[in-house]
Amino acid sequence: MSSEHLLKSLLMLFLALFSANASNWLYLAKLSSVGSISDEETCEKLRGLIQRQVQICKRNVEVMDAVRRGAQLAIDECQYQFRNRRWNCSTLETVPVFGKVVTQGTREAAFVYAISAASVAFAVTRACSSGELEKCGCDRNVHGVSPEGFQWSGCSDNIAYGVAFSQSFVDVRERSKGQSSNRALMNLHNNEAGRKAILNNMRVECKCHGVSGSCEVKTCWKAMPPFRKVGNVIKEKFDGATEVEQRKIGTTKVLVPRNSQFKPHTDEDLVYLDPSPDFCDHDPRTPGMLGTVGRYCNKTSKAIDGCELMCCGRGFHTEEVEVVDRCSCKFHWCCYVKCKQCRKMVEMHTCR
Amino acid sequence: MAGAIIENMSTKKLVIVGVILLLFQAFSFMVGGLIAPSPTTAIHYMATKCVDNVKSHYMSKKWFMPWGPNHCDKVRDFDEATAKKIEANNIVFAVHIPMPNKEMSPWFQFMLVILQFDIAFKMYNQIEDGAVVTVDVGLAYRDDSLGEWTEMAHSIEQRKLSCNFTTPKTIDNEGRYYECDLMPLMELGCVFHKYYLLNIRLPVSDHKKVNRGIGEIKDIRLVGIHQNGGFTKVWFAMKTFLTPSILIIMIWYWRRITMMSRPPVLLEKVIFALGISMTFINIPVEWFSVGFEWTWMLLFGDIRQGIFYAMLLSFWIIFCGEHLMDQMERNRFSVYWKQVGPIVFGSFCLFIFDMCERGVQLTNPFYSIWASDVGTELAMAFIIVAGICACLYFLFLCFMVFQVFRNISGKRTSLPAMTKARRLHYEGLIFRFKFLMLVTLACAAMTVIFFIISQVNEGHWHWGDYTVQVNSAFFTGIYGMWNLYVFALMFLYAPSHKRYGDEQSSGDQVGNSGEDIQLTTTITHVDGPTEVYKMMRKEAQE
Repeated sequence: MSSEHLLKSLLMLFLALFSANASNWLYLAKLSSVGSISDEETCEKLRGLIQRQVQICKRNVEVMDAVRRGAQLAIDECQYQFRNRRWNCSTLETVPVFGKVVTQGTREAAFVYAISAASVAFAVTRACSSGELEKCGCDRNVHGVSPEGFQWSGCSDNIAYGVAFSQSFVDVRERSKGQSSNRALMNLHNNEAGRKAILNNMRVECKCHGVSGSCEVKTCWKAMPPFRKVGNVIKEKFDGATEVEQRKIGTTKVLVPRNSQFKPHTDEDLVYLDPSPDFCDHDPRTPGMLGTVGRYCNKTSKAIDGCELMCCGRGFHTEEVEVVDRCSCKFHWCCYVKCKQCRKMVEMHTCR
Repeated sequence: MAGAIIENMSTKKLVIVGVILLLFQAFSFMVGGLIAPSPTTAIHYMATKCVDNVKSHYMSKKWFMPWGPNHCDKVRDFDEATAKKIEANNIVFAVHIPMPNKEMSPWFQFMLVILQFDIAFKMYNQIEDGAVVTVDVGLAYRDDSLGEWTEMAHSIEQRKLSCNFTTPKTIDNEGRYYECDLMPLMELGCVFHKYYLLNIRLPVSDHKKVNRGIGEIKDIRLVGIHQNGGFTKVWFAMKTFLTPSILIIMIWYWRRITMMSRPPVLLEKVIFALGISMTFINIPVEWFSVGFEWTWMLLFGDIRQGIFYAMLLSFWIIFCGEHLMDQMERNRFSVYWKQVGPIVFGSFCLFIFDMCERGVQLTNPFYSIWASDVGTELAMAFIIVAGICACLYFLFLCFMVFQVFRNISGKRTSLPAMTKARRLHYEGLIFRFKFLMLVTLACAAMTVIFFIISQVNEGHWHWGDYTVQVNSAFFTGIYGMWNLYVFALMFLYAPSHKRYGDEQSSGDQVGNSGEDIQLTTTITHVDGPTEVYKMMRKEAQE
């Protein structure tokens, strides 16, 4: 990344000190200037982490690269899932990366928390499987009681480690605030819902390898779903999210649906406290609230990506644009695509 | 006249023997369920994408390590590779088995590796129908974590890519992954070394049409499956314990038979053969696999199991046949060729199939019969023929069991009219048959039930603080059960030295002199086959 960006981020550091937000660590995704997070000192320099997270970072330096990839994954997936919505998950070069949009207890915030908790679990699990981490799998959750561990009974699934790491790293901000605040309860719930989106969608795959390959001996394992699938699941949960309020039952505070007619939410559902703004207009006082001016829209659609809704009734421009498309391509499985360029005229609609 | 031990045993003693056997049975289940870990472990590996900077990659004998001190130049994803202008031919997928800080061990017995591709859907780069992936794969080992890699195998293999895309193929769904079937990559019959390294290339050649139309590969994932060391140890211990017990009862059984005045009849020989095949399975030659690199152990195990199954199935047929209680003279193996033929032929088919798959894997661990069309058809043909043989066999068996029951009910009506010795003889026959029938059905039902449980279940049950490994319990329990079955068979169906009583000689005389029900040859007929021949001749003369 350019030095200009770095300067900008440094400037924003002072701003960031005043805004405490739990998804600040997502800023790790923007820190490609740091290079690899390889020693404990780097942890101190990482922006967006609270003190407890810095400690976790120091203890698990090798995992931090995976966490950073997770942050990037979360942002990419958020932008993919929200590409057709008024708020399209656009990031800023500040902390928090999504601006103020996620600092309130909105549906969008619920999505961001869920997808980021899931992405850390996902990325750490992947790193485990590539052999980048030395601590995974075998150190915790080994089934079977024996001193020999791996030799005796193998290792537990890497996903257990990924989820556990996500729980300790992502949730620590809410936990440090204490369980009292309703925002903390909401965030913790949504973090867990995000991880559940992975755990409940694990694919079970089996292989028979008995005599002559018969199913006398069968080994099954759980494979992680592709992250796009996880994103889709969380997006569905976003569409059906439950509005909740805090209530005291006995001595513990819990979140219950605001409308008692609705059935209570499950562990996998997303919950939110505040209704979302309409995201129609640019609001300079709220960073991240960019408005929909200049966004492309679909003239024929009646859904949220249609010009009617996207432009909030302000109307839209239409212009003929020449689009260069790829056609009659020759390609390899990796890294080589040779296409002809086909030009065609397309009507583009942009919001006023 | 002497009967089998089971007829002459008092009910009390029979119950005691049954209880002891049941205790051993429970013990064998518990050994697997409580001591042993699950039978196998699957480990996920995500292949690291290494960059081979040498231009002509076929020349380089370099091994690429995914991590560690000498790890290769990696690219995180192929967008990065595209940006760096790296070509597909220069990408090497590297997987180190096992994970960092772990070691493989000979106790793992075998290792098979499954290959999976993550292929993203792209509108302009879709998977073509009937796409075949050509993988150039090398396997190396070392026993010292800093030593040099030694090549073990290298091969260029083809695998059919059967993938489907469940969502509509629109531009909106770009980036979703295809759902692809698992592909077998490798099977090792012996995990003798500590560290293994797989280097996989997917060479592209436009004019040879190699690796064309296989979509946009994002990642290669491998799953390594091996037997758990703990399970192997429990298994070996069990085999080591069972071998002498079956061996001793076998010797005892054969001594009893040779002590008799007549030569052994067919059924006695078959039971003895069953004992031999059980011992053959039991003998823990696998101990050697811990110290020697014997890759054929897996194949040998298959053969041993096959022999036992064939023997057990033949035994059931012959046992039914010898208890038919009709006028026919059997007691010769050749009589049963019609029923035993399918068993032998079916086993032979499976043996050929196994030799084609696991036999070839001895020289090339990456070989799979399912990879080529001809191989698939051949394999399917063998399996179908074996399946037909199995069906034929069960038809014969069911028919024979039905015949026996029909004859039993026929004999029942004429039983009270017989002399005591003759009645005892038939009652003995019926009891023996029904007892074995019951035990066999119970064993078979147990096997089927546990098989289903182990297939459906997740593999372990939590029971308070204990974790019960259902799959391990299935293996040790069922293995123990068939051992006990053979043990009980040899013990209970051995000839008894007890006497029925005084009337036996007179009874025999009455039998010889004119009752129309013939004594067919049985396990314990004291006069043996010759006497029956005499009787047959007599009847023919009449």
